[in-house]
Amino acid sequence: MVNRLNPIQKASVAIILTGMLLIVAIPLMCFVTVSFSNATEMSQFPKNLFPSGTVSVLVAPEENNRYTVYYDYHDGNGWTSIITLSDAKKLERHFTRQYAVTVPGEQLLKDFAATRETGEPRVFTYRKDTFYNFTQFFKIVPNAASGLKNSIIVSLLTILISLTLGSLAGYALARYNFKGKQQLNVGLLIVRMFPTVGISIPMAVLLIRMGLFDSLIGLAILYSIPNIALTSWITSSIFIGINKELEEASLVFGGNSVQTFLRITLPMAFPAMAASSMYAFTTAWNDTISALILTQKNQTLSLVVYKAIGTTSSGIQYAAAGSIILILPALVFTFIIRKYIGQMWGGVSM
Amino acid sequence: MSYLEIRDLQKRYTKNGPLIVDHINVSIEKGEFIVFLGPSGCGKTTTIRMISGLEEVTGGDILVDGQSIIHKLPRDRGVSMIFQSYAIWPHMTVYDNIAYPLKLQKVPKKEIDERVREAARATEIEQLLKRYPAQMSGGQRQRVAVSRAIVVKPKLFLMDEPLSNLDAKLRVTMRTELKRIHTEQGSTSIFVTHDQSEAMSIADRIMIMYKGNIEQVGTPMEVYQDSATRFVAEFIGTPPTNFLDAKIEQEEGFLWAAGDGFRYRVPQRLASAVEPYAGREIDLGIRPEFMDVSPDMTRTDAYLCDLHVDFVEPQGSHAILITRIGSKEIKVHTVEHMNLTPGADVSCNIRKDMVMFFDKETGKRVR
Repeated sequence: MVNRLNPIQKASVAIILTGMLLIVAIPLMCFVTVSFSNATEMSQFPKNLFPSGTVSVLVAPEENNRYTVYYDYHDGNGWTSIITLSDAKKLERHFTRQYAVTVPGEQLLKDFAATRETGEPRVFTYRKDTFYNFTQFFKIVPNAASGLKNSIIVSLLTILISLTLGSLAGYALARYNFKGKQQLNVGLLIVRMFPTVGISIPMAVLLIRMGLFDSLIGLAILYSIPNIALTSWITSSIFIGINKELEEASLVFGGNSVQTFLRITLPMAFPAMAASSMYAFTTAWNDTISALILTQKNQTLSLVVYKAIGTTSSGIQYAAAGSIILILPALVFTFIIRKYIGQMWGGVSM
Repeated sequence: MSYLEIRDLQKRYTKNGPLIVDHINVSIEKGEFIVFLGPSGCGKTTTIRMISGLEEVTGGDILVDGQSIIHKLPRDRGVSMIFQSYAIWPHMTVYDNIAYPLKLQKVPKKEIDERVREAARATEIEQLLKRYPAQMSGGQRQRVAVSRAIVVKPKLFLMDEPLSNLDAKLRVTMRTELKRIHTEQGSTSIFVTHDQSEAMSIADRIMIMYKGNIEQVGTPMEVYQDSATRFVAEFIGTPPTNFLDAKIEQEEGFLWAAGDGFRYRVPQRLASAVEPYAGREIDLGIRPEFMDVSPDMTRTDAYLCDLHVDFVEPQGSHAILITRIGSKEIKVHTVEHMNLTPGADVSCNIRKDMVMFFDKETGKRVR
């Protein structure tokens, strides 16, 4: 396909591809690497581009059953002495914290005993516990687990509210003529214009009055505001495209209006619903600042990660792992839904 | 009492707006195949939609088996419908499409299966049951729509321009098919179309509508040979009826219809009807095939005029001669003189009693 493009088109494709690589792919790669790095790797410079799966240490036998552990920082100084220990507990803790290697201390001592036979130092290679940072994120950061749960609940509630109200509004806009339809259309756009943070403060007052402050449903309502508008826009354009005869056929062949909407209209508008639910999901899942204003105890995951990044001086790799946890569901959700959105832009075949 | 009775049916889309359907009265017998025919905007689709319940009735009544149905929901009327766009649901398989009405009626699963297969067999789509509509051709989708319509065993079978989305060849096969299914099912069918040849070929009776009014109801032969109004004469038949502006004159004890380039003696049978028009203008209509041309210039009692052939359009089984009477273009259908060439001069006599006179103001037939 590229061969058929003219030089200008080729150049712009090249610029876009390299741009994407530089701006998106490489930083993301580094970020992923950080989230899989152990503490020792974090103090290394330059950092690896790809996450390493194993850790190599040099162990030399010492007197009194002690061992000296050497580590190579790849800074040109070769093996550097790190620690000298004989206690299994302490060894285990050192390996876990510094190298993310979760091998029992007794096992380590047993392995190291091999150096006693020759009296020479030897290199040992251990597998890293790949998801150490991730489990650690939930252990160290307060509210992380409940934050994940809250985020999921808020996102689902947002999807539910904005899809139910939005699609009904969209259907009305597409199918019926009523006074003020034009104004309503513009009104929906205007609602969309307000940044959520802008309405968070008045919302906070309102929610406190309604007793919904610091509650998940309160957050979901806030996130739904712009998404109801968006959903009704997206779905109404799809509903307009659905031939009215398809609904009429259902009415003639035994359906009442509710059955017709649920069995005929809604399934055909599914791509639009999928797209809208994706927008609703990303709004709810990615928002931090409204959650910061509107919650105290019931924090969402993005807020938890935000605070983790803001408050840690060391252990940034745990925050990175938290960010990955935050990104992953959004990615997965988008990929699942992508195929339906493709259908929507490709048109629903009648 | 007839099976379906339409009484004074009216429809307005907006309050105080124009009557789209203007006091229609018609009765349809059980087992009949009736075609609503007319140009677009004549109210035929609105009428069928009012029968199906998709459109509200402004006034009048619709009776099926002596019972009014206008206050019933579409699904309670015992009708089934084939739509112009087929209206088969793209997100369901063919099987589910056909089974949908039965599922909503809570028919037992086993019976659904039997009836769906039976309906599919009737339209020869048994092998397509697992497919989705997107994977089928227009003709196949049409068959699915027909299957779905017959599976419910309706009292009335409504078809709203079902063939207009098909290509010309398929249209001809499908209309025969529809007629066959109608006969096999023994159903009562109403078929809406704007294609007069389609209407002629399948209808038991045709109801011709124009501007919300019924122009004529009759068998295809009746509406063709004995058109009740000028509109019907013009609408039915290809090429359409030739019209001439004539003035009725009384001379030599006969009535004459004379105009620009012709003079025709009004047949005895019509004399009394035409007489009141003496001295006034009238529309004279003749079907192209009832104009007998003769190259030997013979003139009979029903002599109209001499014609100069401008063009000849050979059609194989017959030829269409394009000529001129006065300044009006006239088409003549001939079987005997297909070897005529442009430039030939012929005389033209009207076949016995096949002339039609229409009132200029009302458009009604004078007879």
